[in-house]
Amino acid sequence: MTSHPLALDPAAILQAYRTMRTIREFEERLHVEFAAGDMPGFVHLYAGEEASAVGIISHLTDADRIASTHRGHGHCIAKGVDVMAMMKEIYGRKGGSCQGKGGSMHIADIDKGMLGANGILGAGAPLACGAALAAKYQGKGAVAINFVGDGASNQGTFLESLNLAAVWNLPIVFVVENNGYAEATSRNYGVAVDSFVDRAAGFGLPGIAVDGTDFFAVHEAAGEVIRRAREGGGPSLMECRMVRFYGHFEGDAQGYRGPGELEDIRANRDCLKHFVAAVTTTGVLGAAALAAVDAEVAALIDRAVIEAKAAPHPVAADLLTDVYVSY
Amino acid sequence: MHEPCDFLVGLIANPASASDVRRIMTGAANMQTAERVSIVLRILAGLAACGVDRVLMMPDRMGLRTMLTRSLRREQHPPLPRVDYMHLVPASTVADTRSAARQMEQTGVRVIIVLGGDGTHRAVVKACGEVPISGVSTGTNNAFPELREPTIVGLAAGLYATGQMPASAALVANKAIDVLVRHRDGTEIRDLALVDAVVSADRHVGARALWKPESLHAVYATYASPEAVGLSSIGGLLLPVGRREPGGLAVHIATDPGAAQFSLNVPLAPGMMRCVPIAGWQRMIAGTPMTPQIDQGTIALDGEREIAFGPGERISFTLRESAFRTIDVASCMARAASLGLFRRTSTPTT
Repeated sequence: MTSHPLALDPAAILQAYRTMRTIREFEERLHVEFAAGDMPGFVHLYAGEEASAVGIISHLTDADRIASTHRGHGHCIAKGVDVMAMMKEIYGRKGGSCQGKGGSMHIADIDKGMLGANGILGAGAPLACGAALAAKYQGKGAVAINFVGDGASNQGTFLESLNLAAVWNLPIVFVVENNGYAEATSRNYGVAVDSFVDRAAGFGLPGIAVDGTDFFAVHEAAGEVIRRAREGGGPSLMECRMVRFYGHFEGDAQGYRGPGELEDIRANRDCLKHFVAAVTTTGVLGAAALAAVDAEVAALIDRAVIEAKAAPHPVAADLLTDVYVSY
Repeated sequence: MHEPCDFLVGLIANPASASDVRRIMTGAANMQTAERVSIVLRILAGLAACGVDRVLMMPDRMGLRTMLTRSLRREQHPPLPRVDYMHLVPASTVADTRSAARQMEQTGVRVIIVLGGDGTHRAVVKACGEVPISGVSTGTNNAFPELREPTIVGLAAGLYATGQMPASAALVANKAIDVLVRHRDGTEIRDLALVDAVVSADRHVGARALWKPESLHAVYATYASPEAVGLSSIGGLLLPVGRREPGGLAVHIATDPGAAQFSLNVPLAPGMMRCVPIAGWQRMIAGTPMTPQIDQGTIALDGEREIAFGPGERISFTLRESAFRTIDVASCMARAASLGLFRRTSTPTT
């Protein structure tokens, strides 16, 4: 997909909406289903942050690789990982992306260039550097993207990766998804810089900040940083300033939020609401087209939950499969 | 009229200017928080030398305020003005700047010093009423704020704020472009540009910055310097218009290559030269609205796309003389020298 907004045609815009809506519906449904107690492990929901994943990943192909975070469902869906398999994986069932043995924080699909969600904070950055180094050697113009949260960007692995990417001039973009909280710790309390752009400057990388709740802002800016990386211009950092609609994990009481904060961000900083307003007021898409997508997505997620609940659990013998890769 | 106020000077430092997408394509500079703090300290030194002892400042989320507080806790010789922060919960958006400027005006400050680029200055002007401003450039294009040593900006602003320099010598009037968008339902958006209002064919505000010549449709400039970088450089390299001379300039960009009289190679952003096909140009006369011939697109104000419009919506750009006042730093300092305002009777010890 090209980065020029004039070339972002109605079909591409509708596709972006479908993907954002799929992520939202997926996460809202998990919020409901998780409370029923059928899912093993934790889930960390991406609802509210969809514009970042979709605005960035819509510039990528399967040959481009991404390394995600513990909050990875949105990145997976945007990268084209099968939603039915994802739901089975989160339910810990056979037929899941990792045959039900990984769960929410280990969803991966190498064929789609999705190197994996990651339960270790900051661990995605070195993986993305490795993918970027491979892409550089292969010389086919592929890039790697590392998504990292504002909290995990304090990790040594992330800072070392910025340095490594700079000295090796890797085709990589570090995307800091700044949703304001590292678990329960406010960014203002736990991060020593006002803007993550300052952090990039410390390693000699260009850094930019965008409104991560505005799909069109993210998409346009991402087009430039990714093009630069593809053309050998080197690594860069992009901060997406955004919000999350749910807690750090499902079950988080969120006592660290200010009064009225959640209501305010739902009302005023909802990236899907912004998207709908932008495309309908400019006449790019009509309400009927969007409603048709909503219905289609709701049916897909319904089906995914029904199939996941009906799928068999892995058995003890499955522990010994999928452990090593054959060469 | 305002009651006398404790604060003669307000200070608005945009903690986030210079972080847009132009850093990727053009190598435009990043300005780190530490450098912004250093600029504020130098402004405070200039203000202190004029007798300003308290400054009212816009708070930010953390970085700038924290670093500045750390610096101010250190022993200062001579002492710097005390910095007080206004009551404002930072949202880390341009709303902070607007709200701070409005509060400063209501508080009765005599001058607002602004750290930022063209966009930040515009946000302040929209909200500060009659209060004059004095700018220090920390943004990307910076056609409006002049490049100056912050100490000198602090001195000039301090001379005016403390009454040592009268308004007649310290202040200068500036032009602006009033932007009016009238929607089909009769509602209106009114806005303004300090340097340039640009119509582009982009359908979304997107990443805000405007740097692609192929989407440009028309440029309306209050003034256009041949030394400027950014969108106003199109006017500057075509038919320069001075900051202080009456009238502005409208440039029509050719959207069909056949309609171009020629291409103009201009610095569209720092480090980025691009050819822009020119269809025509004309002077803008104050009070005479101009309307672009385009059905839909976006309007960029001082370098950033702000307003999207669609078919049937009416748009006009009107030049206004004497729209707001700024500190004329050069004039202030020349006058201060001629009046001997910085002479002291005794020689300080080393």
